This record gives sequence, structure tokens and C-alpha cells, in this order.
Amino acid sequence: MKTLGRILIILVAFSIFAGLMVFAVNASGANDPGFNGAPQFRLGGGDGVRTEGDGNRPERGGGGAGGSRWIFDLIKNVAVIAVLVAIIAWPKSIAKKRRKQIRIK
Amino acid sequence: MPNEGSKNTVGQTKIKLWVDVLIFIVFLIAMEPHTSGLAIHEWLTLSVMAAMIVHLLLSWDWITEITSRFLGKLGTQNRINYILNWLLFIDGTLIMISGILISEVAIPALGVKLPLGFAWRRLHDMSANIFLVLLGLHTALHWGWVVTTFNKYLVQPIMKLASAKQKKDASL
Repeated sequence: MKTLGRILIILVAFSIFAGLMVFAVNASGANDPGFNGAPQFRLGGGDGVRTEGDGNRPERGGGGAGGSRWIFDLIKNVAVIAVLVAIIAWPKSIAKKRRKQIRIK
Repeated sequence: MPNEGSKNTVGQTKIKLWVDVLIFIVFLIAMEPHTSGLAIHEWLTLSVMAAMIVHLLLSWDWITEITSRFLGKLGTQNRINYILNWLLFIDGTLIMISGILISEVAIPALGVKLPLGFAWRRLHDMSANIFLVLLGLHTALHWGWVVTTFNKYLVQPIMKLASAKQKKDASL
């Protein structure tokens, strides 16, 4: 029962933020086809409703699925995380070791 | 998470480790939809919502403790962690909601037809890139926990198993 209540709290928080985002995007007019910077392509029929499998959706990174590009993208993503870990966790661990050494002395 | 491990049981920590590894791998796959294909990208990310809920449930004690102490006395690292976790939650919500609204496979397969949203596609890409940076920061701030838990529940058992096998081979 406790767990169900907690799940409900998480879902309510998710719904509140999702609702706020939808409201903000619609209120800003960024979702209108005439909005400056809107993509120049249209999907499916002219009724403005997306249908299954009609996707001319360009994939992230220009859609170039060819060759080993995905390996490069994967390495790039892991590298971003690794760099952040190295920048933050490494100095922290060195400082911790120094503190320990000082305490021993 | 700092100050959190003491309250967790061994079982919970193990579950959390594997759930976190799963979320991490799924995120890396989801970041490349042109590799996995749109169907896998959409269904995988929708189903990882359950893993995210489990992750939050396993950190519930820490979340409630820090929420109640946030305006009072609290260490800098816990405060930064707390703010970062909220940013991750908000950005994760943006990825999910924009992903649902631009869905071409999963949501139409459920019989839901959504109107075209021109802003959502760009928001989806942007929030995914921000999520990558936030995930890096989140991992960095919990690196101590990651190393300790991996060592305790993966490296050490494997080492023990290997040494037991070596002893067994030597005795034969």
C-alpha cells in the first residue's frame, strides 16, 4: 500500500510537470506550423494527424545510419559521461586520500 | 547516494545497482534511434519508465529525508545532489512527454492519434542532450557508490569464484 502511494506520488509529479510543459509550449505558440524555425516538412496526410508508419521523420544526426557512425556516437556519449566523472570524481578521490594521509600523520 | 546506503538492505542495494545499470544501457541505446530503429527506441524508453520508478522507490528514504531538511541544515553535496535529481526528473519528464507526442510507432500502435507538434521534436532532441550531461553529473556525484557497489557485488564474488576454482584445480 505504501509503495502504491509512492508510485502515485511519482506519477502525479510527472503529470504536473508534463501538463505544465504542454501548456507552456502551446501558450508560446512554438507548436504552430507558422512558428519561425518550424520544420519545412509535413508528415502523412493534410489533416494534421499523424498516422502509423507515415514517418518521414529525419533521424538525429542527419539520418546517416551508414557504416560505423553509431559506434562513434556511442563512444561520444560514453566519453561525455566519462569526462564529467573524471573532472568531478577524480579530484574528490585525491582530496579524500590526502585527508586520510594527513590524519594518519 | 550519500547517507543513503546505511538504511538500504543488501538486497535493495543489489537491485538498485542492476536497475541503474539497466537504465544506463537503455539510455545509451535510446540516444541513437537511427541505430536501434524507431520501434525499439520508443518501446524501450516507454518500458524504462518502470525502471525509473523502481529507482526512485529505492531512493525514497533519501528523497523524503533531504526534502524535509532542504531548507534547514544540509551538507553542500546533498543539496547539489537534490537539485540535480530534480533537474533530471524535470528533464526526464520533458523527454518522455515530447517523445510520446512525436511518437510514430508506439503511441499510434496503442490506437492513440496525436496532432502534429512542431516544437516537440526539437525539444525532444535538446532535452536528450541535456539529460546526457545531467546523467554524467549524476554518475560523477555517485561515483564512490558505483565503485564500492560494483566491487562488493560483482568484482569480489567473481574473484572469490576464481580463487575457489584455482584451489579446487590445485587440489586435484
